[in-house]
Amino acid sequence: MPFDQALRFASIWLAAISFIGLTLGAGLPEWLAVLTGAALIVAFVRNGGSKLAERFATVPSISPGGWNFLVIAGFLGFWVDLLWISGELLPAGIHFLMVLMIIKLFNLKLRRDYLHLYAISLVAILTSGSLTTDLWYLPIFLLYLLAAVWTLLLFQLTKHPEEIGMLTPPAPLWAPLHPSSGHVTPQFFWLANGLALATFGLTLAIFFAIPRVSAGFYQKGFGENIRTSGFSETVNLGEIGPVKRDPSVVMRVELSDGAPREAGGLYLRGVAFDQYDGKTWINRLNHRRAVSEDGMGRFVLRGDRSHQPSPPGETIRQNILLEPLDTPVLFAAPFIEAVSGKFPGVQSDQSGSVYLPFPSASRIEYSVRSRSNPVLPADLSPEPDRYPESFTRHFLQSPAQSKRIAALAEDITQTQRTAYEKANAIQSFLIHNFRYSLDAPLAELDHPLEEFLFTRKTGYCEHYATAMVMMLRAVDIPARLVTGFHATEWNEYGNYYVVRQQDAHAWVEVHLPHSGWITMDPTPPSIDSVTSGSPAWIALGRMMDTVRLQWSRFFVQYSAADQLAVVRELKAGSTSARNKAFDSIGALFSPLLAMFGGMTEYASKGTLQFAMELLGILLIGLTILWLGIKRPWSTGMVSKKTNRDEQAITQLYGRMVKHLAGEGIAKPPSTGPLEFVRIAQAKWNEANSAVASITELYCRARFGQTPPTSDELTIAEDQLRRLMVLNKP
Amino acid sequence: MPLQYPSLAQRLFRRRSTRITSEGVQFLLFTLAIGIAAINTGNNLFYLLLAMMLSLILISGIVAEHSLRRLEFHRHLPDHLIVNEPATATLVVKNRKSQFPSFSLKLFDVSDGRELDRGLEIRQLLPGASRLLSYPIVATRRGRLRLDGIRTGTEFPFGLFMKRTFYPIEETVIVCPELKPIDEGLLQGLLTAGPEHIVNRRGHGNDLYNLRLYQAGDDSRKIHWPTTARTSQLTVRETEAEDQRRAIVYLPTVAPVSHDALFEQAVSITASIVQLLAQRGYGLQLIVGSSRSSFGQGDLHFLGLLRMLALCERRSPPAESPVSGEPPGDPLEAQEGKMIVVQSWLGPNDIEPRHPTILIDGAVIAGASHAV
Repeated sequence: MPFDQALRFASIWLAAISFIGLTLGAGLPEWLAVLTGAALIVAFVRNGGSKLAERFATVPSISPGGWNFLVIAGFLGFWVDLLWISGELLPAGIHFLMVLMIIKLFNLKLRRDYLHLYAISLVAILTSGSLTTDLWYLPIFLLYLLAAVWTLLLFQLTKHPEEIGMLTPPAPLWAPLHPSSGHVTPQFFWLANGLALATFGLTLAIFFAIPRVSAGFYQKGFGENIRTSGFSETVNLGEIGPVKRDPSVVMRVELSDGAPREAGGLYLRGVAFDQYDGKTWINRLNHRRAVSEDGMGRFVLRGDRSHQPSPPGETIRQNILLEPLDTPVLFAAPFIEAVSGKFPGVQSDQSGSVYLPFPSASRIEYSVRSRSNPVLPADLSPEPDRYPESFTRHFLQSPAQSKRIAALAEDITQTQRTAYEKANAIQSFLIHNFRYSLDAPLAELDHPLEEFLFTRKTGYCEHYATAMVMMLRAVDIPARLVTGFHATEWNEYGNYYVVRQQDAHAWVEVHLPHSGWITMDPTPPSIDSVTSGSPAWIALGRMMDTVRLQWSRFFVQYSAADQLAVVRELKAGSTSARNKAFDSIGALFSPLLAMFGGMTEYASKGTLQFAMELLGILLIGLTILWLGIKRPWSTGMVSKKTNRDEQAITQLYGRMVKHLAGEGIAKPPSTGPLEFVRIAQAKWNEANSAVASITELYCRARFGQTPPTSDELTIAEDQLRRLMVLNKP
Repeated sequence: MPLQYPSLAQRLFRRRSTRITSEGVQFLLFTLAIGIAAINTGNNLFYLLLAMMLSLILISGIVAEHSLRRLEFHRHLPDHLIVNEPATATLVVKNRKSQFPSFSLKLFDVSDGRELDRGLEIRQLLPGASRLLSYPIVATRRGRLRLDGIRTGTEFPFGLFMKRTFYPIEETVIVCPELKPIDEGLLQGLLTAGPEHIVNRRGHGNDLYNLRLYQAGDDSRKIHWPTTARTSQLTVRETEAEDQRRAIVYLPTVAPVSHDALFEQAVSITASIVQLLAQRGYGLQLIVGSSRSSFGQGDLHFLGLLRMLALCERRSPPAESPVSGEPPGDPLEAQEGKMIVVQSWLGPNDIEPRHPTILIDGAVIAGASHAV
């Protein structure tokens, strides 16, 4: 492919990638996305050199004045868009950018036009970067980098005229793109890709080394926050249900020991509710107070302010990466003792819920130390409970119409002696006698809880938790409903819990006099929650999620603190730095390593087909790579061509020798070709020129590994023809 | 005293220079803008784009350096040049690298520290390959033209910067004065004035000069058949040169600074007269200032005279004894042919002459301009 055509392709490719990036990031209006996409396709086809391209080329083009008019019209459209349609600068600017791209795609004539297109595509990819932090940006960026290297290379190579030695000045920006005789050869292909690879490597090095200085004149979040349900101060019964089908990832939770919880998953507590009016839960203990910071960026809620012996209970240390949500709630395993993170402040209410001052517009990472409350032996013996009125007002409150529920609760717990046993009995009753289903439209009913308990006996977490709280309160056991997430999906490749919207959950906290609040969950396991799909796809999904996490951690969230940590480690100069580096590299490549581990595992489990498929893909990839590097076909072609030309000149030489023998100048077998030339010259001088030149070509091909060119072969054939018609005296 | 070797950095980067192209300026402006945006927002994806652009700049430098490294130049110039007359120079460029090709090389001649763009470009030079380039070279003033070397630059790979390096190849070539057509008036004066001195010698003509035995290489048409038949030995006939004219051309070099341009004009006219007379078979002697050539003919002699004129220099007149227009040397010798004097300065009274004065055998040749 000629350089100029390759440049057009590369330029359109560059524009196409930035357009895809912008479409994914900004969500362009459909008409504009379709129009730009169509313009790109037409531009590709026009440069394809096919018949269709010729047909496109014959379409009369618009004059430069016409294009200028379109640009002005687009600019006016931008103002209309800004003032009346979008109403915001960024969307209107993006729309105008796409309009400019379309105009340029149809008007790629001068070198200046190409530069304009590159500038538009750069602004587009930059805008795309400002609108997203998703993993898809990585492949888009890589493709953009590759296209940029190709484009810049070809733009440079088409800059100068091909004619060497001519007194021609370099092509100015307003010069048209002249067809050049340079072609994209396999060497050029590998050179361009090699340069792109080197550029990528250097980009990574520079990216991690650039000092992160944020002046913060203009800081903004990325796109819209994820909408959640159940974490406001008022929650209607049935509100969580709709989000139970949403697989969006809301957070990822790493545990300090790097292993999943043994059973039951991990509860991530959000908000607790104390008041229920028959349809709605309300948190009346919502007065928030600021949590003080201990000077090391740690907000301590309870626990070891002083060096006292640790209270009983299991300590859970978590590192949580929370997606931008529309709630300021900080989720963590119950019950939070301390929170660390880059927050301006942390607040907590009287129910133990922890909040940010406002919802985060971007992804945040924080560490939490939690401690669960175990059931103490004192609570296993019957003892009258004495609670203050201020406590019972909140946690023994019941709506007026729940006498039937109270009777049921009395009935279930009449044989139980302690509060803990009663709570267990109610939990067991709900788990074993009811069925989990998301298709439970109880919210519209007047008495949804009664409908759930006595009629339908099917529902989801909110119904179970509400029922249990009401039944516990009916037997004078303080309880509250808690909303949050129940993490069960362990990513074995990245060693963390993936928490999705569909993991939104409601459960119960029961207060025991000595142990305090303990967590109980009356919701039976969901049959629907069993994920369908082949293990291979699930594994692939988890791997992708791990890559996403690493992308977020190493690229999106990479900060000055990380740089400082690396510098400190390097300064320490100990083996820990090396270990850390290996760990980091290991973390980056962990999905790949895990994939190989997984392949072995699958093979051992009998899913050999999947392993073989992967192996096959790998082998095909390696073969393509090998073929690309070695290019055996080109070698074959050259040697084949060499052999053909060599054979041709050998045949010519043979015919010449035969003809000379016919004229009485026989070539003895012991005579070399050059010696034979001298013999022939001595015997037939007129034939010398033809004999000498054919012999020279023959010797060059035979002994010098330099086959004759087609022109030389033609000349040699002519000479032999003339020799044959020559009469020997 | 211990030997001092240049450091590696000095060896690598001496004679290197980098210039930003117009595209490079735009690229740097975009890089700066993205850098400001990255710092302002703290967005790591902006940092990623910034890193990409910075790495493109770095790769530009590294690849350009490799393109320019280990090149070998050989230049071939003509023996002499003539002012304003194009000649062809050739340049052989060899890539001595064993692995890396060189791309988009732009070559400049460097003369007296000035870069002369000959429009020489090489798009690709494979490892170990060489390329022969030829280009026209035009000198604008006589004397010694000193070429210091070759400056080679490349915008490869991305056209953002023009990186250049200098390879010294010092060469000197003599530039002869400009040869101009002679004015008709002067031409007539040159061809008619003065005595014609005939010397008997071999040459092209009709009269018999001598008969001698045939020697290998003699023209067979010159065989004198009657003598050959009579003596039975191949005998050839030599003819006497029909006419042999001689002339002495004198160029005084004494002239004040104000007459510098006129002196150059006088040198050019002298060269043109010498060329004209040489073409017409004159035996010529050239006197330039105090230098004097021998009488002679032929191309070699003519070139020798041109070299004398190429290298002559104006001398300012001494204050006490201004130089007259009288030629130095043996007057007898002058009587052997025409005496042509080309004077750029006639003396202290010659204040603002417009043209050099030409005297043939002491008579001034009329005419406003002697060279067209």
